[in-house]
Amino acid sequence: MMIRTPVPKRARPIEPAPIIESPPTGSDHHRQLAIYEDPPSADPARREPYHEPLQQSEHMLCTYQCRQMVKADFLDALSNAEKQVQDYQSQLAELSDNFRKADEERKTFREKLSYAEQELAAAKGREQALHDQLLKEVNDSHERLKKELESSAKLQTKLENEQNLHKKAESTAAAAEDKSRELEAKLGHISQSIEKEKKRLNNELVHLKRDSKFSISKITVDLEKMEFRAQSSEKEVELLRKQQEDLQSKFSECFHHKSELEKKLTSLSFEDVSPKESDILVKHLQEELRNYESEVREARKLKSAHENIELINEKLLEEKSRRERAELQLPKLHEYELKINELEDELSAWKLMIQEIPGVSCRDDIRLRISALQKEVIDNLKKLGDVNAHLKQMEVILDKTQLDKQKTETEAVLAKEKADRLEAEVKRMNVMLSAVSEERNVLKTAIEDFKSKNEQAGGNASSSIMQELGSSILEREPYIKELEGDLFAQKEINTRQRDEIKSLHDRLNSEARRVKSLERENDRLRSEIFLLESKIGHGDFSAANTKVLRMVNTLAVGNDAKQTIEALQSELQRTKEKLQALEEYKSQSGNSGKMVDSYMSGKVAQLKEQIATLEKREERYKTVFADRISVFRRACCELFGYKIVMDERQHTNGIPVTRFTLQSIYAMNDNEKLEFEYESGNTNIVENSYTSTSEISQQVDIFVRKMNSIPAFTANLTVESFNRRTLS
Amino acid sequence: MASKTAAKDIITLRGSAAIVSEFFGYAANSILYNRGVYPEESFGKVKKYGLPLLLTKDEGVKSFIANLNAQLSEWLEAGKLQRVVLVIMSMNTGEVLERWNFSIETDNEVVEKGVSREKSDKEIMREIQAIMRQIASSITYLPCLDEQCVFDVLAYTDTDVAVPFTWMESSDAKLIANPQMVKLHSFDTKIHKVNTLVSYKNDEEELDDEE
Repeated sequence: MMIRTPVPKRARPIEPAPIIESPPTGSDHHRQLAIYEDPPSADPARREPYHEPLQQSEHMLCTYQCRQMVKADFLDALSNAEKQVQDYQSQLAELSDNFRKADEERKTFREKLSYAEQELAAAKGREQALHDQLLKEVNDSHERLKKELESSAKLQTKLENEQNLHKKAESTAAAAEDKSRELEAKLGHISQSIEKEKKRLNNELVHLKRDSKFSISKITVDLEKMEFRAQSSEKEVELLRKQQEDLQSKFSECFHHKSELEKKLTSLSFEDVSPKESDILVKHLQEELRNYESEVREARKLKSAHENIELINEKLLEEKSRRERAELQLPKLHEYELKINELEDELSAWKLMIQEIPGVSCRDDIRLRISALQKEVIDNLKKLGDVNAHLKQMEVILDKTQLDKQKTETEAVLAKEKADRLEAEVKRMNVMLSAVSEERNVLKTAIEDFKSKNEQAGGNASSSIMQELGSSILEREPYIKELEGDLFAQKEINTRQRDEIKSLHDRLNSEARRVKSLERENDRLRSEIFLLESKIGHGDFSAANTKVLRMVNTLAVGNDAKQTIEALQSELQRTKEKLQALEEYKSQSGNSGKMVDSYMSGKVAQLKEQIATLEKREERYKTVFADRISVFRRACCELFGYKIVMDERQHTNGIPVTRFTLQSIYAMNDNEKLEFEYESGNTNIVENSYTSTSEISQQVDIFVRKMNSIPAFTANLTVESFNRRTLS
Repeated sequence: MASKTAAKDIITLRGSAAIVSEFFGYAANSILYNRGVYPEESFGKVKKYGLPLLLTKDEGVKSFIANLNAQLSEWLEAGKLQRVVLVIMSMNTGEVLERWNFSIETDNEVVEKGVSREKSDKEIMREIQAIMRQIASSITYLPCLDEQCVFDVLAYTDTDVAVPFTWMESSDAKLIANPQMVKLHSFDTKIHKVNTLVSYKNDEEELDDEE
């Protein structure tokens, strides 16, 4: 549409008249019109852009055709220009719409930016607060971790100490077990040695009993013999007394007779009796005196023998009494043996009990073992208390860590959500910014195109607007750059927060693991506590802190039971005394030959003394007999001419036989021996190498077998050997 | 008895010791009745702790428990008593069949400084009542005592306690080998806390042996 009132034209510099070439027509293209242009001195109110071609046309001095042509050309150009203007107007409208839109968008973006800035500021503030909180929590968790690490280090040291103590205890227990084994082996050896000694002592006791019985029987036999002897000696003593009395009476008579004879002698001396008769009388009297003196000596000997016999009787009585006492004490010996057996059974029972108790080798070890067990109980109770305290501490720590864990988890979740939100916003902002920047670029290019087009078309109004748009966009660019920088920083902060959240997650996981381990330890400690409580509920106690008291007057015990209790207590004391005595006996049982009781040992000593005296007597008798028999043998040898050797033998049927070996003093060699056997009153010659010779056998036949006279044989043999000797 | 102020809440050491020793007397009577240690006709009914309880009429048992309570009260006031155990044994064999274990935790601060504590008497009575009910209901799970039984009382005290004339130190704590244990309720006077536990001979092993 053609504007009637044209827009005032801008001042233009003086330029030479432009040469407008009319559009070439078909016929007139060869002709070129030189259009003269007036100088630009017209009224500005008149200056109209669309009238320039008209002014030009006004100045055309061409013909009507030229005018028409120019008019047509002008109209064409006008229409084109109008079209262009329309286009430009439409474009301008579009641009203005776009600008309005862009402005609106800019406003919205600005609002959004301000909102985003506010949100950013708020997010920053929140992030800062979160950051501070997280730092605080991290510091707290650091401190807690440090404390827990310290406590875990302490617990580890305690655990190591306890492990060392446990190892030490195990080693000491192993050493104690080894010692106990050694002690048990020693005890076994000792018990074996004790049993051997017991057996030996029992054997000795049996032997001693046998010996004592034998000695007793011997003594009884001796006593009987002595009694017989005593009786016979008493009879002899009586006879001797009678003889003594007779002799004394005779002595007194003789003495009286002597005195009379002496008187007579004195009187006779006056009467001159023949010396021969007096000598004979004196001799007779002297002989009688000698006889009487010998009889007196014999009487004195008999008297001393009688005294000896009385002593022997007294000793016999003493031995009888001793025998009676020994016989009385024999049943006591049986009782003592029974008691010994009972004590031995008790000892074995005690030993079995001691063997059942581990770590105990003797009676004294029981107390030590009990004290050791009590100490162990005390230590276990102490450990229980420590474990309880530790458990409580661990429970408290566990609760705290769980609470902290829950807090950190919630905070981490919140921080995550916030970070996600911020990220989404940042992304949105980025997207928006990118969109805005793209639009800006598009607008820039459009504006540049428009500018260029406006410059070409000479449109100044829209270019100013575009310039304003461009300037405003230019003004916004640093702001946008600032926003981009803030976004970048925000991204960095977000990445840092993510890293921190990851680290917190890791810490949370480790804390969760620690919590689980603490829970496991808690369960273990609870089970230990349950076990220890069950032990305490069982009734165990530590003797260091506790003692068990019981009321004496219980109601279930009646009088009979009290009496039985008293009797049992007295019996217990007696058995304890017996046990002590047995232990003393065992300690003293190194010497052999002693009896259980001291009285029995004295009895044995007395019997031994008696045996020694009897043996001495026997030896004395033997020496006397040997002397006598040697004298007798020598006498027999000299009287009868034969050396006689007597020895006792036993026949095959067990009958004792006495063999006499006779060797003549006139024998030529040692082989000339005669052997005789004397059996129950009968004497028989025994054949040997000497008697089997012809000469001797002949004599044996004649004297022994035919004449049944051994003395003739021996006499004949003696004469023949004497003759042979003398002749040789 | 507990010193009764207008609020009836203050508990002194003497009062607490009296409450605990009295409780033990009634608990011992209840155990002797429920476990059949003495015949039923030798018990008479009384009301205590809001429950009908049975007390022995046997003079010997009565005097025994009275002497026991007096001594326990003295030890509780001195803070020397750690545990009281009522042991039920077979008369013929002397085997320990049950152990009623009353362990006592004493607040040493009260014993040393003579301070008092606060707790409602009703609350204490309610706690004791619960224990008495549990003692009465224990016959449902405790094994039957078919043979004639006797009882004995052991006191676990501190080692520095002087042994009274009618008591003697015992090395035998009359324990049960491999017992079954049942923990009952406890009551607390804020000065003395009494925990109750019954351990009895495991009857299942005997049944397995019989089978």
